[in-house]
Amino acid sequence: MGEGATEGTGQAGRARPGQRRVAQWIRDYSRLPGIPDEFLTPDGEPRAVWSRFFDAFGALAPDEIERRFAMADRHLREAGVTYRPPGENADRIWPLSHLPLLIDDADWQQLTAGIKQRAQLLELVLRDIYGEGRLVAEGALPAAAIAGSAEYLRPVCGVKPPGGRYLSIYAADVGRGPDGRWWVLGDRTQAPSGAGYALENRLVLSRAFANLYKSMNVERVAPFFEAFRDSLRGSADRDEPRIGVLTPGSFSETYFEHATLARYLGFLLVEGDDLAVSDNRLHIRTVAGLKRLDVLLRRVDSNFLDPLELDASSRLGVPGLIDVLRKDGVVVANMPGSGVLEARALLGFLPALSRRLLGEELKMPHIATWWCGQKSARDEVLSRLDEVAIEGAYSRFVPGFPSNGPVLASELDAPERQRLIDAIGDRGLDYVGQEVVRLSTMPVWEQGQISPRPFVLRVFAAATEDGWTIMPGGFCRIAEQPDARAVSMGDGARAADVWVVSEKQVSPATLLPATDKVRIRRIAGVLPSRAADNLFWLGRYLERAEATLRLVRALGSPMRPNKTTSSAMQSAERIQRLLVAWGAISQASRTAPGRIAAEALQSADRFGSALSLVRAAQRTATSLRERLSPDAWQVITEMTERLAYEVEDDDSVLSAAELTLQELASFAGLAQENMNRAAGWRFLDMGRRAERAINTTRFARQFAYDEAGDEDLDVLLTLVDCQITYRSRYLLAPVLAPVRDLAVLDSYNPRSVAFQVATLNEHIAALPSLKEYGLIERPQRLAVAVQAMLATAEAEKLEVKTLFALEQDLLSLADAIGSHYFPHGPNASRPEKLTGLA
Amino acid sequence: MIYDIRHVTTYSYESPVSFARCTLRLEPKSGDGQELISHSVEIRPRPVDRTARRDFFGILTESVVIEAAHRNLRIDSRSRVSVSRQPPPRDAFSPSWESIRDIAFEATSLGPSSPVGYVFASPLVPVLRAVSAYAASSFAPGVGILAGAVDLMHRIRTEFRYDPKATVISTPLKEVFDNRHGVCQDFAHVMIAGLRGLGLPAAYVSGYLRTIPPPGQPRLQGADATHAWVSLWCGAELGWVGLDPTNDLLVANDHIVLAVGRDFSDVSPVDGIIVGSPKQKLGVAVDVLLVE
Repeated sequence: MGEGATEGTGQAGRARPGQRRVAQWIRDYSRLPGIPDEFLTPDGEPRAVWSRFFDAFGALAPDEIERRFAMADRHLREAGVTYRPPGENADRIWPLSHLPLLIDDADWQQLTAGIKQRAQLLELVLRDIYGEGRLVAEGALPAAAIAGSAEYLRPVCGVKPPGGRYLSIYAADVGRGPDGRWWVLGDRTQAPSGAGYALENRLVLSRAFANLYKSMNVERVAPFFEAFRDSLRGSADRDEPRIGVLTPGSFSETYFEHATLARYLGFLLVEGDDLAVSDNRLHIRTVAGLKRLDVLLRRVDSNFLDPLELDASSRLGVPGLIDVLRKDGVVVANMPGSGVLEARALLGFLPALSRRLLGEELKMPHIATWWCGQKSARDEVLSRLDEVAIEGAYSRFVPGFPSNGPVLASELDAPERQRLIDAIGDRGLDYVGQEVVRLSTMPVWEQGQISPRPFVLRVFAAATEDGWTIMPGGFCRIAEQPDARAVSMGDGARAADVWVVSEKQVSPATLLPATDKVRIRRIAGVLPSRAADNLFWLGRYLERAEATLRLVRALGSPMRPNKTTSSAMQSAERIQRLLVAWGAISQASRTAPGRIAAEALQSADRFGSALSLVRAAQRTATSLRERLSPDAWQVITEMTERLAYEVEDDDSVLSAAELTLQELASFAGLAQENMNRAAGWRFLDMGRRAERAINTTRFARQFAYDEAGDEDLDVLLTLVDCQITYRSRYLLAPVLAPVRDLAVLDSYNPRSVAFQVATLNEHIAALPSLKEYGLIERPQRLAVAVQAMLATAEAEKLEVKTLFALEQDLLSLADAIGSHYFPHGPNASRPEKLTGLA
Repeated sequence: MIYDIRHVTTYSYESPVSFARCTLRLEPKSGDGQELISHSVEIRPRPVDRTARRDFFGILTESVVIEAAHRNLRIDSRSRVSVSRQPPPRDAFSPSWESIRDIAFEATSLGPSSPVGYVFASPLVPVLRAVSAYAASSFAPGVGILAGAVDLMHRIRTEFRYDPKATVISTPLKEVFDNRHGVCQDFAHVMIAGLRGLGLPAAYVSGYLRTIPPPGQPRLQGADATHAWVSLWCGAELGWVGLDPTNDLLVANDHIVLAVGRDFSDVSPVDGIIVGSPKQKLGVAVDVLLVE
C-alpha cells in the first residue's frame, strides 16, 4: 500500500509540508479560556507525546488522511460496530473520533497507581458493608449513605461472594482538572461498560494507521483482557470452567459490546432465559440438556438478576440465582450489590476510609462532593448554592427534578430555586453538591482542522491473583458541550481510542494463547438452545429468501422463449400464486409481472418478500453476533442494503435478485468452508435443509402436477437449479417422471428433497441425544420415515397427493426439531409469576 | 390473648404446571408485643426441596421447589400466637416530626429495625411529590410525630374508598393515590409514601386481624384475608408504633404481625414462579380464632 512512504517520520524531504500543516493546525486550535488542554501547554507549545504523533500524522497528505479515516469508518460499518441510544429501536454505527487520546508513560503510571488503590479500597468497603458492618457501626460511614441506594441489596447481606471477591472488574471515569492532575469523577462498580468498545476502537484505528501506530510504541490492550479472562477462570471451583456473559438481549444499548466481549474472551453469550437453577447450581440450557455454568460475567444490573428475590417484574434474570450464590454455586462478576458504591453520597467519605482501611492517603483526588444528608455539608451546599452542581446522591437522577443530569441552581427561576432549597432541607440525603470542574480538552478532527473538546476517560481495572491490573488505554468519550461530566453516547458524543505511549518498544500481543498453556480440543464448548434455535431459523430464513429470489427470477426472466403463449402465462400465474401464498406479494396480476417481481423482491410491507426475509435473517443473526464471522455478517448486511435500495426497471429487479442469490451462495460457502463442524453448524445447515426440502416439495407439487406441460416442468427445473443436470442426462424436453425423480427422489442430486432429508438424518444422528427411556426421539423417527418413503418411491407412480403428504411430513419434522432441541426457545412456556395476594 | 390462625392459599391453574419455585413468608413474627407459640406449613403437592432461612428483615423465609406436575397448589399454614401490646393513646405526647427525621437520618445501623432503612423509596413505594404534599398538611412545623401520623391515617380512612375490585397487587401507587381507592395494602403504601416523603421512617406490616370482633364492636375491614398496615418509628421512647389506615386504628391486640419490611415486596406471604399455565386463580382464606 506504500504506507511506509507516506507515513515516514522525519524524512527531510517530506517533513516540510507536514510541518507547515502541523503549524497551521496549532495556530487554528483555539483553546477554551482557562481550561487546560492535553495537546498544548498553557504557553501554546505542543506536549512531547502529541508532537511525535502530529509530526507523523501531518506528514500524511490531506487526502490520504481522509482516505484513512474513511477506511476506519468503513470498517466500523462493515463489522457492524453499533450501539443503541436509549429510547431508540435501531442500532447506530459507532461514532469514532479519529484522533486518539495520547497519554505518556509517566502520566499513565500515576493514573494507574491511583486507580489500583481505589479499586482495592472499594473492595474492602464492599466486604464491610455486606459483611461485618463495622464502618457503619463505628461511625466511619453514615448508614443513610448506603441505605438510600437501590443497589444496596438486602438479600445478599451476609452472603460471602463465591470466588472470593466482590469486584472482578472496576472502572473509574476520570478527567484532568485545572491543576493538571487526573480527578476521579465517578466509580463504576456494577457492570462497567466500554471495555469492548475500547477494543473495537483500537482494532479500527490501529489498522487505519498501522505504521503510525507501530512507530508510537502504544501499549497493547490484549494482555489486560487475557489477565481478566484468566482471573475469571481462576475464580471458579473447577478446572476448565464454563463462563457466560449475561446480556439483557439484543435490544440492549450495548449488546454489540456484550457480543464482542464474549467472542473475544471465548465466553458464552447468554440471556436469562438460557439459564436455569437446578441442584443449587446455575446451569445453561443447551441442545444436550442442562450444563453447569461456573462463572457469570454480568451486564445486567443487580436488581434484574432474580425475580424471586429482587425486582419481581424482571424478565432478564434467573429465578433462584441469589439462592445459588448463598450456596456458593456460581461466581457472579461483579457480585450483585456491588453497584452500591456508585452512589455519590459515598465520595466524601472515601479519603477517611482510605486512611482507616489501607493506612494511606488517597493517591488520586475525586471531584469535591458534599452529601446533604449531613447537616454541616448541607449548610455548606446551601450557602454556596450557585457555585455547586446539585446531583442525585444515589443515582444519576436528581429526585424531584426531571433533568437527567446535574441541576444548577443559577439556571433555575425563583420558585424552582426555592423548591430545590426546600427539597434539600426536607430530604437532604437524596442530594449532593459537587464542585463544578473545568476538565481538560483534547483535539478532535473537523474538516481538515483540529479543535479542542472536553472528554471523559473511563479506565478499567481487573482483579487478578496478583492484585489489580489496569487496561493501558480505555474508553474515551468526547462531549460536544463544554461540560463533559455527563457524557453518554446518546447526545452526539463521540468515542476515541486511547493510546498509552511508551518510551520503549512494546511487544505485540493478542489473545492468541501461548502454546504451552493450551489443551488441544476439537469441539468448541456447548451450544445453548437459544443459539441453536437462532441458527436453525437463520438457515430457514436465508433458504426461504433464496427460494423467493428464484421465483422472482423465474417470473421476471425474459430469457424464456414463448413467453406469451398461454402455457407460459399459466406458469407465470402459478409463480404468482405461490408468491401470494408465501406473503411475498399482495395479489397476482396478469398485466405487470415486472411490478410483481419488484414487490416480491423488496416490499417492506410483505412479510414474505425477499427483503423482509433477509431482514428477519439479519435480526436473527444479531442475536448470534458472537458466533458469526465478520465476513458472514457483512454478507447479510450487504444483502439487506441492496434489497432495501429501490430498483427502477425490470432489468434491475433481475440483477438485484441475481446478485443477492450470489451473496446467498457466498454465505452458504462461508458456512460450509469456515464454520466449525460442531453443533452450531449443524443447526444452521438443518435450517437450510429443512426449508429447502419443504420448498422443493412445494415447487414440485405446483409445477410437476400430474398434467404438467413443458413450460411448468421447465420452470421447476429452473427453480431447483437442475436445468443442466437434466439436459445432460436426458437430452430431451422436460418429461414429468424424470423431472419429478430429479427434483424429489434422486438422492445424488444435492438439490433434491431426498438429498435434504438424508442430510437432515445425518445431522440428527450426530447430535447429542437426550434419550429418555431408550426410545427413538421424535425428530429422528420422522426423518427416518420420510427418508424411507423417498428411497422406496418410484417417480412414475408418484402422485400429487403423495407430494402434499410429504410436504406436511416435512413441516412436522421442522417443528419436531424445534420443540425437541429448543424446548426453552422463544416459543416455549416461560416462567410465570404467581399472582400476588390481595 | 392467644390466637389460632389458619391461612390457606390455593392456586388453580388452567393447564398443568410442571415446575414451581416458591418463597413463603408465613411464620408470624416473635417480638414487639407478640410471641409465636407454634407454627407449621403443609404444602401439596409435596415439594422435592424445602429450605428455610431468616432473611435480612428476620423473616423466616422458606424456599420451596415443586417438580411434580400439578393443577392445584395448596399451602396450608397454621400458627398459634399470643399477643399483648399496649399502644400509646391517640393523643399521646411525642417528639416533633422534624426531630425524628433528623435522628433517623443519622442512624448508625443498617439493621432491620434501624429507622434509616425506611426513609427511602422502596420497590413498590416511590416518593412522589403529590403524595408528600398530601401528607405534609398533617405535619405543620413542630407537630408531634404521633399526632401528625394519626391525623394522616384518619384522612386516608375518610378520603379514600375501600374497594377490593379497584386495584390489583401491581397497581402503581400513583394510580391508587389519584383515584383515592384501593385495599389495605394500597392504603398502607400511600401512607408510607407520604411519611417517607417528609423523611419519616415508615415500614410496611403484613398480618392478620381477628375474624370475630369483641362483643359489641363492628367486624374490621380485611378480617377474612391477610391484612396490611403501617409501622412508624416515633423516637427511642415510643419506638415503632402500628397504625392501620384501613380501619383508622392504632394497632393493639386485634392485630397479629406476620412480617415487617419496606413494602409488600419484602414480606409477600407467598411468592414464586411457575413453568406452565399463565392463567391462574388464587384463593386465600384466613381464619383467626381467639383461643383465650
